[in-house]
Amino acid sequence: MAALLAALLLAGHAAAQQDEVPVTESFSARQFDSQPPADLPFDSEQVVVGSEFLNLYTGPGRGYVIDHVVAYGEPLWLLKRRTDWVKVMTRKGKTGWAKISELDEIFATDGVRVVVPTPGIDDYSERSLRLGFAYGDFAGANSMGVSLGYRFTRNLSAEVRAAQTVGAYSNSQTYQVAVVHKPFPEWRLAPYFLLGTGINITSPNATIVATEDRQDTAMLTGIGVTTYLSRRFALRAEVANHYLLTSRENNQEIVEWKLGFDVFM
Amino acid sequence: METRIRRIYVKLAGLLLAGSFSASALAQDDQTIDEIISPDLERREIREAAIDSEDFELTTYLGGVLSVEDFGSNRLVGGSLAYHISEDFFMEAAYGQSELGESSYERLSGSAPLLTEEERELSMYNLSLAWNFLPGEIFVFDKLALNSNLYLIGGIGNTSFADEEYFTYNVGAGVRVLAQDWLALRLDVRDHIFEHEIFGEPLTTNNLSAQLGVSIYF
Repeated sequence: MAALLAALLLAGHAAAQQDEVPVTESFSARQFDSQPPADLPFDSEQVVVGSEFLNLYTGPGRGYVIDHVVAYGEPLWLLKRRTDWVKVMTRKGKTGWAKISELDEIFATDGVRVVVPTPGIDDYSERSLRLGFAYGDFAGANSMGVSLGYRFTRNLSAEVRAAQTVGAYSNSQTYQVAVVHKPFPEWRLAPYFLLGTGINITSPNATIVATEDRQDTAMLTGIGVTTYLSRRFALRAEVANHYLLTSRENNQEIVEWKLGFDVFM
Repeated sequence: METRIRRIYVKLAGLLLAGSFSASALAQDDQTIDEIISPDLERREIREAAIDSEDFELTTYLGGVLSVEDFGSNRLVGGSLAYHISEDFFMEAAYGQSELGESSYERLSGSAPLLTEEERELSMYNLSLAWNFLPGEIFVFDKLALNSNLYLIGGIGNTSFADEEYFTYNVGAGVRVLAQDWLALRLDVRDHIFEHEIFGEPLTTNNLSAQLGVSIYF
């Protein structure tokens, strides 16, 4: 009985010790020669698989067949990535696609752990450049807009915006520069305030009467809210007031509602 | 009695002083402290993989046809740029150019044409979101299995002709066959829906387009 217990303890101890040996120096890794396959692209990165096994699919999608399995300690070369998949080459020159979530235990040849980054909420809170698309209601007309934003500090960013609106009586194009202030960027629903200026080019529809295009300077004020969606995307809703300084007798006010999303780059 | 108590106080003060002295002496000796308090843990280093992403897809239409309701079918040229968000979704910005033919009214009445040649030039752009709802493989004879996608796509955009802009919704479906990881062939069919008033009254039109494109991923 005592002998059995001692053997069990020893086995446990041995297992614990094996865990401490990095995969790059393990017995399994030493079995495989790290001779790269012949048709390997020149700039690919070599890693060693540290999980028990790694499935390789025939295509970058969950429905594709698993037609190869890479074992613990086997070398692997990372070729490229598409969405959440990485194309890899095995030591025998076979290529396949590995899911990034299953590539959580790969190590460089010097033993450093390698991670393949996936876009997440950090991109939303840390990236400084963003590209936005929005659909809006511009005083009854449909509008489609794009924006390019650059964040200077946690709260403050600048934006260049362009929109095309198509209405029943007139079409217009708006171009603006704006300053966006987000007082509580860490909130789940983060509000922001907007102040800007730009030009509105309005062309009344020719079917009504023959008129000329008007170009007016516009002052822009707005409030909105953003919320993180997933990956690199954030949802954004906004209401803005365009105050047009026209050459006619009265200035004109237009209220615009917008719903869109931002992509963080 | 009193002196004895005082003596105890003095001893206590002396002890405290000695204690604090030795503590400060220890604090100066950083190495000793490190040996005592640093945990027996190795910090694991982590590095990001230097790996190239191929999430963008640039498509050129090899051939396309756009049928504008009551203005005939004409050749469509253009292209698109797509960003693959995940294996299921991608978004796409597209641009196309075509021209309008003669409407049936113009042909039958024999009167002056409704639109000038310049007004018959059509351009459109749109931004769409697509769902790869049937991913799979296409088998070509015995030896070839090509990855493929059947996707549903829809979005908003702008169509411009006859000196006017028309806000346009588009819906459609397409199939993509990947010849290589970075090279694909796409066939895309869309309905572009917009309202115009060329014939005097507002009219919602369904304008179908079909385009065959070749795309590269980068």
